[in-house]
Parts: sequence; structure tokens; C-alpha cells
Amino acid sequence: MSEYFRDIGSGITTILTGMGITLRHFFNAVKRKGDAGIDEDNYFSQVDGLVTLQYPREAIPTPEIGRYRLYNDIDDCIGCNQCARACPIDCIAIETIKVTKDDLAVCGKTSGGQQKRFWVPVFDIDVAQCMTCGICSAVCPTECLYHTQVSDFSEFSRDNLIYHFGNLTKLEAESKRKKLEEEKKSAPAPKPKPKPKPAPEAGSDKDSM
Amino acid sequence: MNASLNTWSDALSELYLFGLPIGLVIIAAVPLVFIALYALTYGVYGERKISAFMQDRLGPMEVGKWGILQTLADILKLLQKEDIVNKSADKFLFVIGPGVLFVGSFLAFAVLPFGPAFIGADLNVGLFYAIGIVALEVVGILAAGWGSNNKWALYGAIRSVAQIVSYEIPAAIAILCGAMMAGTLSMQQFNLLQQGEYGFIHFFLFQNPIAWLPFIIYFIASLAETNRAPFDIPEAESELVAGYFTEYTGMKFAVIFLAEYGSMFMVSAIISIVFLGGWNSPLPNIGPLALNDWTTGPVWGAFWIVMKGFFFIFIQMWLRWTLPRLRVDQLMHLCWKVLTPFAFVAFVLIAVWEIYVK
Amino acid sequence: MQELEKAEYSSVRVTPKGEDRVIIEKDLSSEEMILNMGPQHPSTHGVLRLECKTDGEVVIEAEPYLGYLHRCFEKHAEMVDYPGVVPFVDRMDYLASMNNDFAFCIAVEKLLDIEIPRRVEFIRVIVSELNRIASHLVAIGTYAIDLGAFTPFLFCFRDREHILNLLEWTSGARMLYNYILIGGVAYDLPQGFKKRTLEFVKYFRPKALELQKLLTENEIFVKRTKGIGMMPAEVAINYGWSGPMLRGSGVDWDLRKEDAYSIYPELDFKVCVPDGKSSDIGDSLSRHLVRAMEMEQSLDIVEQCLEMMPEEEGFDPKAAIPKRIRPKAGEVYGRAENPRGELGFYIQSDGKSTKPLRCKARSSCFVNLSAMKELSLGQLIPDLVAIIGSIDIVLGEVDR
Repeated sequence: MSEYFRDIGSGITTILTGMGITLRHFFNAVKRKGDAGIDEDNYFSQVDGLVTLQYPREAIPTPEIGRYRLYNDIDDCIGCNQCARACPIDCIAIETIKVTKDDLAVCGKTSGGQQKRFWVPVFDIDVAQCMTCGICSAVCPTECLYHTQVSDFSEFSRDNLIYHFGNLTKLEAESKRKKLEEEKKSAPAPKPKPKPKPAPEAGSDKDSM
Repeated sequence: MNASLNTWSDALSELYLFGLPIGLVIIAAVPLVFIALYALTYGVYGERKISAFMQDRLGPMEVGKWGILQTLADILKLLQKEDIVNKSADKFLFVIGPGVLFVGSFLAFAVLPFGPAFIGADLNVGLFYAIGIVALEVVGILAAGWGSNNKWALYGAIRSVAQIVSYEIPAAIAILCGAMMAGTLSMQQFNLLQQGEYGFIHFFLFQNPIAWLPFIIYFIASLAETNRAPFDIPEAESELVAGYFTEYTGMKFAVIFLAEYGSMFMVSAIISIVFLGGWNSPLPNIGPLALNDWTTGPVWGAFWIVMKGFFFIFIQMWLRWTLPRLRVDQLMHLCWKVLTPFAFVAFVLIAVWEIYVK
Repeated sequence: MQELEKAEYSSVRVTPKGEDRVIIEKDLSSEEMILNMGPQHPSTHGVLRLECKTDGEVVIEAEPYLGYLHRCFEKHAEMVDYPGVVPFVDRMDYLASMNNDFAFCIAVEKLLDIEIPRRVEFIRVIVSELNRIASHLVAIGTYAIDLGAFTPFLFCFRDREHILNLLEWTSGARMLYNYILIGGVAYDLPQGFKKRTLEFVKYFRPKALELQKLLTENEIFVKRTKGIGMMPAEVAINYGWSGPMLRGSGVDWDLRKEDAYSIYPELDFKVCVPDGKSSDIGDSLSRHLVRAMEMEQSLDIVEQCLEMMPEEEGFDPKAAIPKRIRPKAGEVYGRAENPRGELGFYIQSDGKSTKPLRCKARSSCFVNLSAMKELSLGQLIPDLVAIIGSIDIVLGEVDR
């Protein structure tokens, strides 16, 4: 019998405690949390009250380190293919064409001063597949492949999520291939193979944007 | 004075247009319009906002200023939805279920006095009718649950029937305590008896030292009767998916929801009529400040009863967003072993008080 | 025959005082109903499917069916090189990715036999303990929602958000970090991390207390969980339970103590075992209490680590990462204390390849879930929900 009354008593008191807590929050609802990022000093001094941020208009800033949309700075890309090999889910597709000798200057150097030896007509990243693990950017020797802070990049069509970073158009790529082939024919081949299949050449020198 | 209070309604009830009792229809329509408006605005929207504020959220914010038109948008969405009756359902029961549920929760509004002038039917057994007619909801729930031909819906329906029928006992005894204090079952009479220049002092809750006990018991039991948390086991979303309305879509679903909010207001109105003076102003006359007289009248009456109803609805929501859910057997334990004995004790004590002390 | 069947099935419901009940029910001819709970059910925490045989509200038998979230982790692991496995490991128990990474890296490092810089160990422990708090917050929150209390759930998620922000600040991702790498961590802790984390600890302590008052001490919550899903210690050990589940049954077992990996032996903490005052040892409430206690404990550990962590200017957390990870031929079993129990990886290497020859994950949730059949015996449906909630499964880890 005493347990019966104790249960009723503790039931009432704990329910009232709980109701007190929710009521306190209810009256606290006049205050709202700001949208300071975690790296700002006032982060924990602004968390009393409503915490919802109305997303498209307000958002917590992504930290500098944030790994979201994958981006390739093709001007710096040397076409080494390491990222594509490292990617655990193969979401990067790369095709390269060896640069002919006369084009080396046109192809240019990376911002680090390294001579680029490959055209990269195809550098496709399927960000729909990308799981933002960051392994590719870790292996990138020129640090041209990196994750940006852009976290919202939804699209209506899935095809739009395949990002093309290649620095040659199809036509240009075709002509570069021909050029390479030609060079190889004329020069008695000291180096047998560039990365992709070589093809006969015909000159045209458009540079890479 | 009693006669003058009803002049509005008398005038209305004698209003005939083209030989039709339009006035009577208006009187009956007032609660109908009210419930629809309330369920649209305060009921659903209020519940969402209150729950949001208690949980440190903002709640609906997009449709209209502070999301005030959110419920309207929801209704529009629900209207456009396909009205699915699943193949294996018992079509008749499935369709009739929400209707019965809605009518059941709505019939009691006939005897609720919305102020001195507005009352659908001032029955001499109004209170009895109001408690009794709620039982019709059970039929609707059972029809919905059984007709869905879904195991979860069936569980929900069975739980709900057991729950509502059980909780009617402590609820009825608690209400009887109020009836004993009043000596009548007429709803309007209840209000008139709690009228007075000292405002809330005349309310039955403060007229009797034990009145708080049936008041609390009725409040708890009414939560269970309207399937509100912590007694929302018939629709326990984490156990039974959605309980007896698992299979409902579109407007039928909306009707079930409307019925829930309707009966929430109904029990809140009954508890405020029986224990808290209904449409009487709680403000007392203090010397020259005749607050009570100033705040009494047909419109003020409607204001007070609606406010009191909303107050109890707020407490219902407050409880819902604080507490976990009880288990089926604990629910029955609470009903039969806690509330019912205490209701009997209150009944006897109030009887003793009314006969020997007062 | 009929009699025998009936007798058998009524004897299934072993209730402490069930003698009369069994006799009564022998006379009633009733039919069992097969009830499919899940995979689309609100409280099966994902895509678990339970096939329940029910008699009224009483569950006579519940059989879990798995595999709805099977993503071939083990096969995947054989297809990619060692660093490439880590992001897949993240996705096993997606609520505690740091701890998963930690366990996998421990296994591979054991195989490679490499030395880890001391600061890296501290960073690892800090982030995985923070993630443990986040994971337990989800566990407690979803447990509350299973029992019908919505508000504690959102409070838990509100606080978890801060941990996710902290970890995003550290690692760049919010849930699937790929932060702990084989031989190191991806980045050093950001500037001001220590200060902010200490602020978080200060912020979180009162919130945990509020949660305790709102949920753990609530009479309805206690009534719903106390004595439900009892699991005696011996049975729990026989089922291979681990983590908070095993500790909830009163067994003093914590891999952080038993294996003493990383820098845990230097830290001062006690294994959380319920005292049995407010709960019956081995019930759902005990398991819940263990999780609540572990949150506090993790806060202590984080504080201690931040205190003890050696500060190094220009520290390179990737210094110890081998250039090419190609372990010698052999096999290894590495394990760590995941928020849900012992997460272990058995890795076989042929010595030639940079890919594991075989990688088997010993998933804590999977093992814990295996006792479902025993736990659900003769419970009511609401109790079944309470039991599933107390097991705290993450289907990503169960199915892998």
C-alpha cells in the first residue's frame, strides 16, 4: 500500500518537474540562437532559446576545412591520374593526351611552377557518387583537386551532377591527338607510350583556356 | 435576469425566413463554425507552435507571417490527395468510420453553452447527454480500425475502445461530483449557479474544499477519452504506426484529426463549465471597480468559455509534449486502481460536505 | 496433439507469477496473429524487420530479419586499398564514425606494427569520445521517442548538433569523417579547439542534468523500462553482448579498460555499471542509465585529454602514415569500444597486395540484436518497442 502511494507521489512530482522544464523552454522561446560558426568565439554564448535556423536564408557557416563539393582547378592539374586511382568508388574519370613538344609552352605550368605534360580533355567528377572522403585531394601532388565549402549543390537532373573539368573541347582533343601521333611518326620514337591511346596528328594549336 | 440572458437566442430562434427556421440553424451553426475555425487556427497551428517552442524549435514559419496559414495549406494539400480505400478494406465501415467519429465528437457541442445566449439545446440532462454521446466516438474508432483490415489499425481500435470505455467511469463519477454540487444536469443551469459578483469565488472548484480532486480526476480521464498523450496509445506512433487511422488518407484523415481537436475542446469546455464557471467572468467586483459586471454579457460569455477551453487545451498540449506514453496495462491500472477509487472517495466526501457542512 | 500444442505454447509465457494465467489461457481457444513489424516501422530504427507471433498484445515470438541495408562492406574492403576502406568503415555505424575508424585503424596498425605519435593518440581519443556522446545522445533521444516522449529527442539532437559542429570543424565532415587514418589523423586540431570543447563540456553538463530530470527520472519512463527486457549477466555473456548492453547486465567489462588501447590506461575513469538502486540490473532502464552515465564519463575523459595533450607547434598529424600500406602476410584482430559495444575487424593480408585479402567486421549491434528472440519472449508490443530501443541498433552496422 505504501508503494502504491509512493508511486502516485513520485509520479506527480516527476511529471510536474518535467512540465516545469518544458514550460521554461516555452517561455524561453522569445530568444533565438544566432548563426555564429563554431570557430567564432561567441559560439557557446548564443545557444539559449530557439535553435532553428531557417535554412536557405540563414545557415551555420561551413568551417574552412569543410569537405563538400569536389572541385578541380584544371589549370594546375598535371593529369597524373593518382586521384582516380585512389578514389574508393571510382567517381573520377580522367583521360589525358601527352603534350607535343611544340605545345609545351602553350600547355603551360602549374601555379607551383611544374611543367604540365598532359592535356586533360576529360576530367569528370560524378559528385552524386562522391562520398567526400577526401582521399583524392590527399594524394593530389599539385593540390589542385580539393573539396570546397559549398555544401548545397542540388540539381533537378542527375546529369548535371557530373562535373566536367577537362581543359579541351572534343574537337581540340581530337586535333591534339592527331598532332601527337604525327610527332611520334616523325620523331623515331624515343618514348613509346603516353597514357591514352595515341593517334596520328594534324596541327592546330588552340591553347587551354 | 435569466430571461433577459436568453433574449438573443429567443430572438434568433423566432427568426423565420421564407418559412424556414433560419435563426435556429444559425444557433446550431455557431458551434460548427467555431469548431472548424478553432481546429484550423488554434488547434493544429497552436499545437505545432506550442510543441515547437517547448522543443526549442521555430515551428511552421513559411506560409504567411509566422506560418499562420500553414494549416490552410495543409488542408488544401489534403483535399488534393487521393482518397484511397484499400482493396481488402471493409468499404462501408472504412468510409463511415471517420464520419461517426466526427459526429460523435461534435454532437456534444449541441449542449455546450457558448455564453448566456448561445446554446444549441438547453437540455435538462445536458451534462448526462454530453458524457453519454462521447461513447459514439468509440463506434467510429472501432469501425475505422476494423474496416481498415490492417493489423496495426485493429490494435489501435481495440486499445482505444478499452481505454475510452474504462475511462468513462472515473470521468463520469468526477462529473457527478460537480452535478451534486449543482443539483442539476442542465449545462446552462451550471453556469447560472456559478454566477456572482465575486467572480471566481463562485466557481464550484472554490466552493468546496474537495472539489479539486474530481477536477483533476476528470482532467486526467478526459485526456484518456480524447486519446491525448500520455494516453495516446490507440495512435501510439512509435508502436502502432498510426493506430486506427493508419490506412486513412486525404480528407478522411483530416476529418479524424478535426474530430480529435473537436473532442479536445469539448472536454475542456465541459471541465470549465462544471468546475470553473463556464462563461462566467472570473474577475471579481472590487468596490467601485465592477470588473465582474463589465466583463459579463453574451459576447464576454463566449470569450470566457473559449478562453477557459483554450487554457485546458494548452495544458493538454503541454502534457503531451512533456511526457512519455503509458503502456496498455499501466493505463488500465491507472484507471481502475487509482482514478476510480479516488473518484469514489471524492464522491463520498463531496456528498458529506454538501449534506452536512454546507 | 492439440492439447500438447496448446500446453507448449502457454508454457512459453513464463511470467513470474504466471501460474494462474497459464491455466486460464489453456481453456481459451485463441488464434495467434503474425505481425510484421518493419522494415517500414517508426521504431525499428531503420530497416529492421521483426516477424512477431502475437496473441492479443502479447508477443509470443519475435524473429528479426536482417539484410535490408546490406552494402557488402566486407567485399568492398577486399576491393580497395587500406586507406580506401576507412570511408566505408565510416558508413557502418554512421552515428559513431570516429569510433569505427578508430577500431579499423587499430587493427591495421597492429598488422603494420607502427608507432603512433602521442598527440595523435590524444586527438583520436578526444574525437571518438565526443562522437560517443553524440551517438549516445541519439540513442537516448530515439529511446525517448520510442516511448512516446518527443521533447527529449529534440533536446538530444540540439546538443548533438554542437558536437557535430565541433567535429566538422576538426575533420571537415559532419557525420562520415574519414578523419582517423591509418597511422595518424587527417588534420591537426584547429586553433581554439581546446577552448571551444571545454566550453561545450561546460554547456553540456547542465543540459544532461535537464535531460535526466525530464526523461530518466520521469515516473512513466521508469515504469515503462524498469524490469522490461531482463537479461541476466550469464546469458548476456553467452550471447556475446558487449558495450553498454553488457554493462547494463552488471558485467564490469569495457574494452577501454580490458584492452587498454591507445592512451586509455593513462586516463582516470571507471567502468559504468548500474548500481541497481534505481533499476533492476539487466533491464532496459539499466542499459539506458549506462548510456547516460557514459556521456558524463566521456565528458570527463575529453576534459582529461585536453588537459594532458602535448602541445606541439607545427605538428604534422600525418607524419607517421606509411607511404604505401602493404602489410606483411598475416592476420590480425583489432577491436575497440564502440558506443554500441565491441567493434572488431579481422584482417588478413597476403603480403603482396595493398588490399586486404579478407576483412571481417565483428559488429556489436549485430551480436546484440541476436538476443532479440530471447528478450521478446512473452512481452507486450509496447515493451517490444522499448526493448528494441534499449538495444540501440544501427542497421548500417547490423547489415554492413
